Amino acid sequence: MELMGIWIPILSIVTYIPLAGALAVVFLVPKERTGAIRAISTAVVLLDFVVSLPLWFLFERGREGYQFVEKASWIPSLGVDYHFGIDGISLVLILLTTLMGIIAVACSYTAISERQKEYYVLLLLLQTFMIGTFCALDLFLFYVFWEVMLVPMYFLIGVWGSDRRLYAAIKFFLYTLAGSVLMLLGIIALYFYNTTGFLGYKGLQQPPTFSIEKLTAVAAGMPPDLQIWLFFAFFFGFAIKVPMFPFHTWLPDAHTEAPTAGSVILAAILLKMGTYGFVRFSLPMFPDAINTPWVLAVVVTLSIVGIVYGAMVTLVQKDMKRLIAYSSVSHLGFVMLGVFALNMAGLQGGILQMVNHGISTGALFLLVGMIYERRHTRMISDYGGLARQMPIYATYFLIMALSSMGLPILNGFIGEFAILQGAFAKNFWWAFSAATGIVLGAAYLLWLYQRVFFGEITNPANANLPDLTVREQLTLIPLVVLALWIGLYPKPMFDVLRLPSEKIVAAVGGRTVPSPAFARRGTAPQKETSLTVGASRP
Amino acid sequence: MKVSASDWLLLSPELFLTAAGLFILSISAFFEKAKEEFLAFLTLLFTAITIGLVAFLSGYPGRSAPIFAGMFILDNFAIFFKLLMLVSIVLTVLASIQFVGRAPYPAGDYYALLLFTGVGMLFMVSGNNLVSIYVALELMALSSYILAGYFKLEIKSTEAALKYFVLGAFSSGVLLYGLSLVYGIAGRMGLPELAKLFESQPKSNLLIVGILLILAGLLFKIAAVPFHVWTPDVYEGSPTPVTAFFSVGPKLAAYAILARIFYVGFPKFHADWGLIIALVSAATMVFGNVAALLQSNVKRMLAYSSIAHAGYALMGVLGFRTEFGLWGILVYLLAYTFMNFGVFALVVFLETKGYAAESVADFNGLARRNMTAAVVMLVFLLSLAGIPPTAGFIGKYYLFTSAMKAGYAWLAVLAVLMSALSLFYYFRIAAAMFFSEGEGAPLRSSYPLTAAVLICAVATVVIGVAPQPFVEILRACVIRTP
Amino acid sequence: MRDLLWLVPAFPLAGFLVNGLVYLFSHRTSGAPHPPADQAAAESSEAAGHPHAHVHLETEPKWKTLHTIVGTGSVALSGIFAFGAILDLGIPALSHGAHHLLTLWRWIPLGVNQATGQVPGPLGEWFVDMALSLDSLSALMIAFVTFVGFLIHVYSVGYMGHDAGYGRYFAYLNLFMFSMLTLVLAANFLLMFVGWEGVGLCSYLLIGYDYHKKFAADAGKKAFVVNRIGDFGFILGIFGVFALFGTLDFGKVFAAAASNPAAYAPWMTLVCLCLFLGAAGKSAQVPLHVWLPDAMAGPTPVSALIHAATMVTAGVYMVARCNVLFRLSPDALLVVAIVGGFTALFAATIGLVQNDIKKVLAYSTVSQLGYMFLACGVGAFVAGMFHVLTHAFFKACLFLGSGSVIHALGGEQDLRRMGGLARKIPVTYATFLTATFAIAGVPLLAGFFSKDAILAAVFEAHFRQAPWLPKLLWMAALFTAGLTAFYMFRLVSLAFYGTFRGTAEQAAHVHESPKSMTVPLIVLAFLSVVGGWIGIPIIRGGDRIGRFLSPIVPALAGARAEEHAAPVSLEVALMAASVAVAMIGLLLAYLWYAKGEGRVPARLAERFPALYRVVANKYYVDEAYDALFVEGLAKSGGRFLWEVDATVVDLIPNGAAAATRGAAWLSHFFDKYFVDGAVNGVADSLQGGFRLLRRAQTGRVQNYALVMGAGLFCIVAVYLIFR
Repeated sequence: MELMGIWIPILSIVTYIPLAGALAVVFLVPKERTGAIRAISTAVVLLDFVVSLPLWFLFERGREGYQFVEKASWIPSLGVDYHFGIDGISLVLILLTTLMGIIAVACSYTAISERQKEYYVLLLLLQTFMIGTFCALDLFLFYVFWEVMLVPMYFLIGVWGSDRRLYAAIKFFLYTLAGSVLMLLGIIALYFYNTTGFLGYKGLQQPPTFSIEKLTAVAAGMPPDLQIWLFFAFFFGFAIKVPMFPFHTWLPDAHTEAPTAGSVILAAILLKMGTYGFVRFSLPMFPDAINTPWVLAVVVTLSIVGIVYGAMVTLVQKDMKRLIAYSSVSHLGFVMLGVFALNMAGLQGGILQMVNHGISTGALFLLVGMIYERRHTRMISDYGGLARQMPIYATYFLIMALSSMGLPILNGFIGEFAILQGAFAKNFWWAFSAATGIVLGAAYLLWLYQRVFFGEITNPANANLPDLTVREQLTLIPLVVLALWIGLYPKPMFDVLRLPSEKIVAAVGGRTVPSPAFARRGTAPQKETSLTVGASRP
Repeated sequence: MKVSASDWLLLSPELFLTAAGLFILSISAFFEKAKEEFLAFLTLLFTAITIGLVAFLSGYPGRSAPIFAGMFILDNFAIFFKLLMLVSIVLTVLASIQFVGRAPYPAGDYYALLLFTGVGMLFMVSGNNLVSIYVALELMALSSYILAGYFKLEIKSTEAALKYFVLGAFSSGVLLYGLSLVYGIAGRMGLPELAKLFESQPKSNLLIVGILLILAGLLFKIAAVPFHVWTPDVYEGSPTPVTAFFSVGPKLAAYAILARIFYVGFPKFHADWGLIIALVSAATMVFGNVAALLQSNVKRMLAYSSIAHAGYALMGVLGFRTEFGLWGILVYLLAYTFMNFGVFALVVFLETKGYAAESVADFNGLARRNMTAAVVMLVFLLSLAGIPPTAGFIGKYYLFTSAMKAGYAWLAVLAVLMSALSLFYYFRIAAAMFFSEGEGAPLRSSYPLTAAVLICAVATVVIGVAPQPFVEILRACVIRTP
Repeated sequence: MRDLLWLVPAFPLAGFLVNGLVYLFSHRTSGAPHPPADQAAAESSEAAGHPHAHVHLETEPKWKTLHTIVGTGSVALSGIFAFGAILDLGIPALSHGAHHLLTLWRWIPLGVNQATGQVPGPLGEWFVDMALSLDSLSALMIAFVTFVGFLIHVYSVGYMGHDAGYGRYFAYLNLFMFSMLTLVLAANFLLMFVGWEGVGLCSYLLIGYDYHKKFAADAGKKAFVVNRIGDFGFILGIFGVFALFGTLDFGKVFAAAASNPAAYAPWMTLVCLCLFLGAAGKSAQVPLHVWLPDAMAGPTPVSALIHAATMVTAGVYMVARCNVLFRLSPDALLVVAIVGGFTALFAATIGLVQNDIKKVLAYSTVSQLGYMFLACGVGAFVAGMFHVLTHAFFKACLFLGSGSVIHALGGEQDLRRMGGLARKIPVTYATFLTATFAIAGVPLLAGFFSKDAILAAVFEAHFRQAPWLPKLLWMAALFTAGLTAFYMFRLVSLAFYGTFRGTAEQAAHVHESPKSMTVPLIVLAFLSVVGGWIGIPIIRGGDRIGRFLSPIVPALAGARAEEHAAPVSLEVALMAASVAVAMIGLLLAYLWYAKGEGRVPARLAERFPALYRVVANKYYVDEAYDALFVEGLAKSGGRFLWEVDATVVDLIPNGAAAATRGAAWLSHFFDKYFVDGAVNGVADSLQGGFRLLRRAQTGRVQNYALVMGAGLFCIVAVYLIFR
């Protein structure tokens, strides 16, 4: 970024501010001075957010390709570069991350009472790694951030989590690691296909590189069978992170055991890594694989099963956090469905829904954390009648529940609408079966709301709970504002997402093979789809 | 055969180190009062000088000449290993001070033996002839047997020494038998000559059997399945600094000669030994990891973990005649030396603080009592598990690439899954350090040990974050195959 | 003026925000037990044991004046601007197709899209705007919505006057007005859906207004979820429209559909049925009718406004709005007609035996809505809308009247404890009676004309698929008319005639309601008399409403569009029939209940106990749904899947574990870790397995040598064999 003629590596700055803050806390502040630690961490995340804001304003909507690019050679002998840059998709996710960073720190003031120094240091490290993942334009660099990110989260869950934290932490770590090492092999294979070839595949004999842009082009040109292999190599890495059914079992444990901030970050950002991976890598890299009917069928079926299955399981949960965790499975199913609808509506909807899910579910975890601080129980049955005692809390909860169930003029609706519209355009039955998730969504959230807030206060322990403090409301208000903004005027979002999405759709959707039912109707798909390609390229 | 001055010059490191060993031995013999710290200091000094010599030779123009009519050779490959092994000796000495000092045994013997082992290793990696290699190997082996049994009053230690000796003898026998078979067929011992000869000769089963026996003898040294059986007991029984040394130094030498013998000596049969090595590697990584999962004794767990790593490392030998060649294994061994030694050094640290470091529980709450130690340990564990950005990740990355390149995709898949699995037992230590409440006062470490640990930690991180210079140097160190 | 259209929904929204925030922060608690006001409210309502017994409460709600002014004022203002906009366009102009489209902002741009799946759609830029449109249909709607809404707000001032949640109540009510006006003013399907969901939410909030009562909360949830099932259909329909037409703008869609019916006809049945599912949900048509009766748990003015006059008719409005699409699909129309007709009859029968004054009205509402759909089904969309209008007047009047009765009796809703109220609360009685005559279809009153229009349309309609159907439907409708007259007059007789059957305490307490409540009653009664005169048949030019709506809804459209004018004689005959039936109903009810103290019906009930029980229990539909969907599908299904999740799904990692185990000889540990989670499954079982291997690791050196020897042998052997 140019500022007054001076070139500023703004992405690196945004990425490493938290790291610097973490180091500062480590070396400058003794661990007894908890107040100072909190103050510094808050200042750091605030600063980071402020610094990240210019990205939004200086980002050129109308420009193809990546912006704010920084590039330096890192491991030349492998062709690895330190290569940062963002497009609209990573832009929104980065901003979401910096915002959530503030909230995560702010919601920990009272929740975390012991080993605060380590806690805030880990939180800051985590933020650096997450932002780095979204910024990376070099596959190797991306992988480094992607994996190292697991470490702080592991400790956040393991040290400050609740009863079964050890199990949850290691399960989280192993599960995701197992997925990502397979992705590593995929990356290596890609590398060799670009350079000297392997396993009998004739390499392209090009100079070694991990540049995502270059390798995307390379991958898209691979023979279909190899594409399918590599698609699944990446698929495991991403699908476990999303998590897609049936790889989701780590999620409820991690969410339930993690401290509030952990759950918030996990839900708001970490899960998005997986979907981001699909959007950034799988779609443009392996179009032939994805357009292979059976592959697409597998992915979409898993997504839809995730939606319905997740919602059904959510319905019967007794633990608030676990309930919301399972609802995430359902929501992320929507995202995946949208992404794999392979058209503008679905893809943009899916990306937007990533943000929405971050906002809504993040806020819900926040709210559960607040009540947990007061009552130290997450069991729904321990509550009831809170609406009378904590009207403000009840109101925030209602707003966020509504946004999570996709009620119009709140953010969730826009995403779900776009996703299902895209799915419908692809195949009626996809939209139909997915839309049942909406009904179930209303059911489980309202039931939760009713059991927690309605009725008389039966449990004396709830009889005089204090309503939300100003600090707590300050952590919630930005999310409410965002929810309304995206619900009422999402155009800025779509403006940012449009070009990258068009690029991806042109890359993958352009070769859409008709679903059998469509073929039966006998209209020629080729003509229309070619139209799509032509039109998507401005 | 005529011996020129340059021959002596090129062997000066080995010769100097021998002299140094004898010197230390005599000092401790004549001056009973000699302080352990002093001896350690001398050892460090001599080792440093040796490093200096090697460094000097690496720049010496005439070093490409064959030494003693091709008995030895001083190529980049050898120089890299020599430096690395000397560094491992330095680390061992640093880790040994105090530890050995508190033991009621003459420290002089200890350091002298350490240096003799070193001499053997230095000769090994230069060996260019089956005989010289074998002799050097025996030198290394014999002194290391004694090192294993250095705590002679402790049952475990002596038992370890005995097992190590018996089984070592067994494997040497196997190796020797292999050598003799090869010699019987070829009638010569120099590796290049062998290669030249086999180019023209058809391969006979007997020859292959001989080669396989040689392979088996070397696999024993690097503790690969099924020749690993001695490892857990020996690692557990030996004095921990020695264990740390074993897990690094002798293995380096073994990898080196394995590579040299098979790349230089038997290139023609690479399809044959390649397949066997791949199978052994698979078996080793599976067995090592799976067995480590169950160990509650930290030293045994680490023993199995180093077995597993031997399995990974063998993948690095597979890249025969690919653009990777031995590059992978060199990068990996560089990383492995530091991270693995670091872990053992921290075990030593706990033992000097009166913990048996037997069970994982001894690490409980280390984070509370010495945060630096805990964090450093975490770095080593992450590195061993291959999490970026650590040296271990870079090393494993190179191994996976060379396996893929060599066409062993299945092996690569197995390897990545196994290294993911390995996280489970590594992080049992991490969990103990950070999650569980430890009681007791803060722990302080001695300066030499701290130095050793920090050297390893810095190396682990630096190689992980900025691997470029290292990998570039190592690219120049691979053995060029015809 | 017309460009200030956006103010029409904006005012209530502002009212909602003000009322809501003021209420919220004036009721903020800080650790102390409940604030006294709320507590009192709770206790008092406990005391009366009925939902709306706030009359005993002495403490004034906080900020009452502000809430009153903001609450009613905002609606008044929006009403003024509504009429302003209408007059600005001019009624004649409107009836000649003038309309105004006000685009506020680009809402959802979806980029260039193409329906590549089963639904062939045009390629193009897909987007949805935040746009309002004013045409004759929406003009009609906003006119009566704001008017009736205003009256009911005024009424609420008196009715809810002593409720501690006063501010909350008005906040919700304003939010409802906002959503309803958005719904009717929306210029495209999606914005309509916004209002659609909004009114659903408000109905949820207002039904569950007494959230501390379980049945209220349950009713609210039920309403929302059932509505969600409808919305599920609606949104699918919207997707269909978008995918087919590439736009959601009403004008564009209908123009396209009208211009080129053949292209779209094949898809229309699917789309229209989806849309109708939405309509059925909102307008409580069988099988989605179950929520409306329960919705009576809400305060009575709410029942009047939302569950009688406005929201529940949104479904009819939507169908009428989409009449172009529906007319492309005779099958869809057939379904609409059948569902409507059946609902009308079905609900009426249930209404016969209800004893809760509001429940009777609720079922009557369902039945009347059925009428409206019946009309739409036979293509008489105008008649449907006409009935929407008149029904809004008399049904609102009836509900408010019943509210006045309940108010007078201190929360009593059971007809069996009423009686003889005619003299004690004359105004209420008079207005109630008028409205009753109106709904019963007494000539020259509002209900007469609209209902007659529907009956005529049904009689004259005909379906290619089922020629016999219209006559059948006509008979059903006619019979329903009789039932309606009967149960309504039964209600009147039980409440107002005979002797008082309640407690002495109640008897002493009975009093006429305050002006704020009676005035709206009178106005509505007046309207339920004259309201129908805008649609007088036979007389030339009598059908004003038909002409007014003609730009949107071609009069008596559909299959019979060609021979529109039916012979006058037939019209008259039909009228006579319906009047006769209505009169019989009234008379019977009067004789049985007012004169005969309900002996006859009692005897009938004894004669056919089974039949009586079934009807009295609403045909057990609720029970069936509960068993089938709530408990059956959702809950136990969920539980089952959760089990699956804990066991089978974690098997996938366990499968990987199993592979490793296999290597480590470990079948019998499988079961042990079968259920348990992935990772620890792997680890533990491996550990278990390696106890065996550890036995091999005995530490006896000769064993080691043995192992090594064996290994060596294997290697050589393997090589020599498999070379």
